Amino acid sequence: MAENLTQAYSNLSASTPSGGATGVSTSISSGISTDIPKLGIDSSALINAIMVLVLAYLATRIVVFLLTWSSERVYEHRITVKMAIPLAKFAIYGFAVYHILGSVLELSTTQLVAFSGLVGAAIGFGLKDLVAEVVGGIVIVLDKPYQVGDKVRIDGHYGEVRDIGLRATRLVSPDDSLISVSNQKVLSQILANANAGSQEMMVVIDLFIDSRSDASRAMEILRESAVTSRYVYISERRPVTILLKDFPFYRRVRAKAYVYDLRDEFQFESDVTGRAWEAFVAEGIEPPKAGVLNTGDWSVED
Amino acid sequence: MTSRFEEEIGLIKKAVVDFWEGHRSNLAIVSDPFYGESELMDRVEGMAGMEGARIDARSIFSSFEALEKAPGRIVMVEEVHRLYCRNIGGFDTLIRFLEMMSSSDRLFITTWNSVSWRYLDEVLGLGRYFSKKVSLPKMGADEIRDMLISGYDEGELTFVEEVSNRGDEPRILHRRNIKKSLMGRSLDVPVPVVEIRSIRSRMTKNEKKSPEDIFFEKLARISDGNPGVAEHLWEEALDYPKVMDRLRDPPSIDLGRDDSFALSIILSMGSLNLGEISEVLKPHHLSAERIVGSLEEQRLIHIEGDVVSVSPDALKGVMGHLGRLRLVW
Repeated sequence: MAENLTQAYSNLSASTPSGGATGVSTSISSGISTDIPKLGIDSSALINAIMVLVLAYLATRIVVFLLTWSSERVYEHRITVKMAIPLAKFAIYGFAVYHILGSVLELSTTQLVAFSGLVGAAIGFGLKDLVAEVVGGIVIVLDKPYQVGDKVRIDGHYGEVRDIGLRATRLVSPDDSLISVSNQKVLSQILANANAGSQEMMVVIDLFIDSRSDASRAMEILRESAVTSRYVYISERRPVTILLKDFPFYRRVRAKAYVYDLRDEFQFESDVTGRAWEAFVAEGIEPPKAGVLNTGDWSVED
Repeated sequence: MTSRFEEEIGLIKKAVVDFWEGHRSNLAIVSDPFYGESELMDRVEGMAGMEGARIDARSIFSSFEALEKAPGRIVMVEEVHRLYCRNIGGFDTLIRFLEMMSSSDRLFITTWNSVSWRYLDEVLGLGRYFSKKVSLPKMGADEIRDMLISGYDEGELTFVEEVSNRGDEPRILHRRNIKKSLMGRSLDVPVPVVEIRSIRSRMTKNEKKSPEDIFFEKLARISDGNPGVAEHLWEEALDYPKVMDRLRDPPSIDLGRDDSFALSIILSMGSLNLGEISEVLKPHHLSAERIVGSLEEQRLIHIEGDVVSVSPDALKGVMGHLGRLRLVW
């Protein structure tokens, strides 16, 4: 086995233009016999391999474009279609590597084993992080803790998953910043996924009112504001829930409702809040008083 | 002519008989727009006789007492979905009606727009107020044929095939221009379109069908089994004594969210006047005039006087589009 590996080094180095490297390997292999056939890495093979990689890159771009375009056409299954994007990317690049090793370089099984040894050594010495990221990407695609189109919080960053790449996951934050998080890091982080593959997503809207205001009416208004929103999605499994919580000097009225497209999360929140407050004001429901602790009004009422 | 709604009439009759025997089951008749539920109510009114009172929900809005003081033990209320408006405070009249109906000892037979029904069922739990629900079914090609040509003698009408049916088959793939706006300018963007009709005709070309069969199958498909839409398309196709095959699949709809929301409001009510549309859209800071103008330009709605309704030709496309956007459920 040691002889085989040495010969593989020898054959590989024989095809490289570096004289120094050739000299070293020749001296190593001089007394060792081998039966590994010579590797077919010449300039044309190298060009072919590069061509395959370029074609794989172009194919990936085209597939990503087509899947993204068609996902917008089948609006209700947008995220399901987008799920296929990372799978397609890994499949195309995986096939490209397989094709390069099998057809372009025409490696035999023995050479493949030798090559794997080399790759293993390379990973062990310098590329382990990169490989961990690629493996992380594969795990994400298979395990699906999130999908392209989901809204997630990773490492304190919140945004919509735009892309699951070979090396990193890219999010677009609410302020349109592109955030790249290493796939390896994603797996070791606590991850919060707001919609888990669904197109709709729960939005929690909190409004704070003065303790002396009519809380029941405020709950009714907030509920009506949520169910009449142009962004709301309601079903048996996606109900609108209104909750009231008492705090010492104010009350919190909370709406839990689903927006039909998670991309409209903030518009939905703004729409419900704005219209609810217009109705609150019209019905004399007031916000908590600033400086209520100093006025002492609450203690007088007691 | 085969009478429509036989099965539904049977169910309503049973509810009335049960009521007279002491078992009250308020009834909701639910249908898409143009299904002809008023024709059904005519027959129910005849069935109820002197004990029946028929009321249009719009009149309840102006005077709720009209409903409370309505004579008769069987109350028929048409288009009950008109009692709500999709804004804050817009459910009060409907809730009042439902509560009055629940506590009453009279039998209520009501009609509802299916889009509004599904929305209100999620919002107010409408299904809990009605122990019986009757959904008007889609009509098949044969039923549509019976409905439309039973008044004519055999051979009186001549069905004329469209040219493409007679051998010059339409291409499977062709180009269509769609309108897109870019930087405030309207552009015609050519896109390849797969013609489903052509694929279907190629797949079924071995079957020999008469022009009449082809026409009614197409009519059932394009109208989506909706009798009102089928009747409208029939009137367009009829050039007595010829029936011209001018039926076309509804075009795909490309609308923004705001326009789609306005369209869903019109669809859920069946028809509205501009003031009513504005009442819903204004709190969302949307202009009813602009949107109605844009929808009319795309022939998705029909305006008669001040009343806006979804165009029957576009109904199938509109329901499909709004369903995809999940603005209607």
